[in-house]
Amino acid sequence: MNWTANDIDLYMQQQEYIDTALIPLVHIGGGGAMKQSASSAEFLLNLSAFIERQFKGRVVLFPPFSYTDGNDRERLAAEWGSSVSDMPFRHVFYLTTDPSWSREGIIEDAIWIPSIPLESMDKKLKQSVLEDQVRQIIPVLTSKWASE
Amino acid sequence: MSNTRVSRRQFLNYTLMGVGGFMASGMLMPMIRFAVDPVLEAGAAGDYIPTSQKVSELTEEPVRVDFTYDQVDGWYESEVTGTAWVYKEGDKVVALSPVCKHLGCTVNWGGDSAHPNQFFCPCHAGRYEKNGQNVPGTPPIGPLDEFDVKIEDDLLYLGATKPNTLI
Repeated sequence: MNWTANDIDLYMQQQEYIDTALIPLVHIGGGGAMKQSASSAEFLLNLSAFIERQFKGRVVLFPPFSYTDGNDRERLAAEWGSSVSDMPFRHVFYLTTDPSWSREGIIEDAIWIPSIPLESMDKKLKQSVLEDQVRQIIPVLTSKWASE
Repeated sequence: MSNTRVSRRQFLNYTLMGVGGFMASGMLMPMIRFAVDPVLEAGAAGDYIPTSQKVSELTEEPVRVDFTYDQVDGWYESEVTGTAWVYKEGDKVVALSPVCKHLGCTVNWGGDSAHPNQFFCPCHAGRYEKNGQNVPGTPPIGPLDEFDVKIEDDLLYLGATKPNTLI
């Protein structure tokens, strides 16, 4: 499900089946890091849209949450964590290309995937690269689902 | 030049009929053209999306076929990739939609190792037979949709989805 009115309507009716929130964490860099940050954001949004399509009936894809270097990540994580836990989701996944979340233990179970620059790829290659990445993430999701 | 005399009355008659005829046909021609236009129109062939799948390479084992098309939603224009599961049944080519009839996940052929010859939905373990029939006792409530199929120069073209006709 996407974060759109129609999809959320459906979510409201089918809450017992749609029990997972997927939140992309997007880093916004300034100055020289701008291009790199845009490239990772492009990759991450493509990837999360792909996951959404694969698991439309179980996952709600949140609008990407973006932050800058100036943000206090621990506070952001705590605030997000408590807001999302008030929602009726049984599983919450954070998806990011920024290793600091899990490395510094701010969000222990954030799924980190290395960013791959998609901008120079043609459509076919882009798709197969994304498919490979999704194939890596699927076991993470399914094992979490199976463990409840 | 006198054996065919044209009287003034005759001359006026001919002239008026000629001019009137032109005017009438000028009015009627577009009307007739509009009336017969729907018959002349070529069938809506533009709705078929080409894929790179060669029909001669298809077997009875379903394979994934990807195709892309442009989609405009409000101001957001995007290129959407669609997928179909395609196999041959005798000489007929069957293309099934991968969208699960439960809540819209994407199903995979043989995605569950316990049921290698079925379509499997990873979200809630829904299963379908090869012809798209949903397996009773799993969450899906109907069979997988089917694509209209067209074959041109051995290449597969996919049209609109329609309710499953194989069952």
